[in-house]
Amino acid sequence: MSWSHKDLISIADLSGEEITTILDMSTSFKEISRRDIKKVPTLRGKTVVLLFYEASTRTRLSFELAAKRLSADTTALSASGSSFQKGETIMDAALNVMAMAPDCIVIRYPYAGLPRKLALELPCSIINAGDGTHEHPTQALLDMYSMREHFGRLEGLHVAIVGDIAHSRVARSNVYGLKKMGARVTVVGPRTLLPPGVETWGVEVSCEFDPVVNDADVIMMLRVQRERIEEQCFPNEREYAHFFGLNKRRVDMMKPDAIIMHPGPMNRGVEITHDAADGNRSIILNQVENGVAVRMTLLYLSLGGNINVD
Amino acid sequence: MAEIPRGPEEIQALLSTLTEELLATIRSWDAVAFIGIRTGGDLIAKSLVRILEERTGKQIPMGVLDITLYRDDITRRKAYPEVKSTDIPFAVDDKDIILVDDVLYTGRSIRAAIDHIVDLGRPGRIYLLVMFDRGGRELPIQADFTGMKISLPDEQVIKLEPSADKDSIAGVIISEVKR
Repeated sequence: MSWSHKDLISIADLSGEEITTILDMSTSFKEISRRDIKKVPTLRGKTVVLLFYEASTRTRLSFELAAKRLSADTTALSASGSSFQKGETIMDAALNVMAMAPDCIVIRYPYAGLPRKLALELPCSIINAGDGTHEHPTQALLDMYSMREHFGRLEGLHVAIVGDIAHSRVARSNVYGLKKMGARVTVVGPRTLLPPGVETWGVEVSCEFDPVVNDADVIMMLRVQRERIEEQCFPNEREYAHFFGLNKRRVDMMKPDAIIMHPGPMNRGVEITHDAADGNRSIILNQVENGVAVRMTLLYLSLGGNINVD
Repeated sequence: MAEIPRGPEEIQALLSTLTEELLATIRSWDAVAFIGIRTGGDLIAKSLVRILEERTGKQIPMGVLDITLYRDDITRRKAYPEVKSTDIPFAVDDKDIILVDDVLYTGRSIRAAIDHIVDLGRPGRIYLLVMFDRGGRELPIQADFTGMKISLPDEQVIKLEPSADKDSIAGVIISEVKR
């Protein structure tokens, strides 16, 4: 098997075959997290720096555990508590981090494009843990892993991604990936939360949830990203929940074997109710478990071989 | 040194020799479990377990080990070794493990396999069984049970060929190392 990427910035950079490789290998890595001794010596002596310039619970913890279970050393740095607050530019910060010789930098940043710039300028591996509204590739990979684990395939699945599509890097990464894997995608949301140019994504678009809910195999709910919204996009949360929330009535309309996903963090009562989030169709916590395995695979692929040899 | 066996009958004869050696050495089969190293060792382990279950009348647990993540040359290789699954469906604690590999050469795979097994628990003891010992050790590791000692030039590799259903051994392949 060959892997020719130094970095993971975007699902758009990966071929369907490479995505399949990542998903296949993740099953082996998942087994490690179920052992009593959850550690293998594979990346001993490697250093992974987690630079998180934006809030994170799951992704940061998941990357940190993934690295530690492969025996890499990890250090995490967040915007608060770093010199970011003293006016240091992000490129200066990155060059300083690089001077301390990490093998991999996992970066989350509030604006699109920074991970790509770092990948071009720094010799170490860069893994994008979410850049603005651009991409969140590891989330899409763990989502695809979770769907494939449940259905045994991705090809031909109908995946509905519902909510704040405009500000969602998770939606973008999933759309790129799912299309490559032969799934059918419908994005659903109020017109004000669909991005300009969504027609060019090659997906179906709907501003109504009900006609989609009974046809999808996967319903992926997204949080309304208030921190990225500058204008009012809908009258109030109650109205949003009524038209675009996944509630008991809509769960009952779903296909018998359809599943519910959410990348987290959830705003219960807004885009999803307790019935939907905690019911037996929800695979939300499986997604979290799978996230560690998928990130172990990516760290292994990024750091495991000497790709600068030739 | 004798000719290296190639066909299924000769392999079968080696398996019989190994079976007799195991039965002569191991007195109690209550705590015995086989672990085969992927890929090659698992085929031998499977074949031996079939024969030994019949001979001893006991159920003998068997697992498969993937040692990729325990290799000491991961960061020195150009191609990425594919990670496959370890599947040990029993607790290794206090078991008499018979670790099985097809070929014993530098000893590095066995070192990795032992490290892997001790991460899963604390076995009572670990025996090493190999079908071929080709010398050339780089670590102080020796087999307890050896099918046959062979001699091969460094640039050749020897591998077991699985049958079509991947359930038994069809033969032996000797090929040149790709440089």
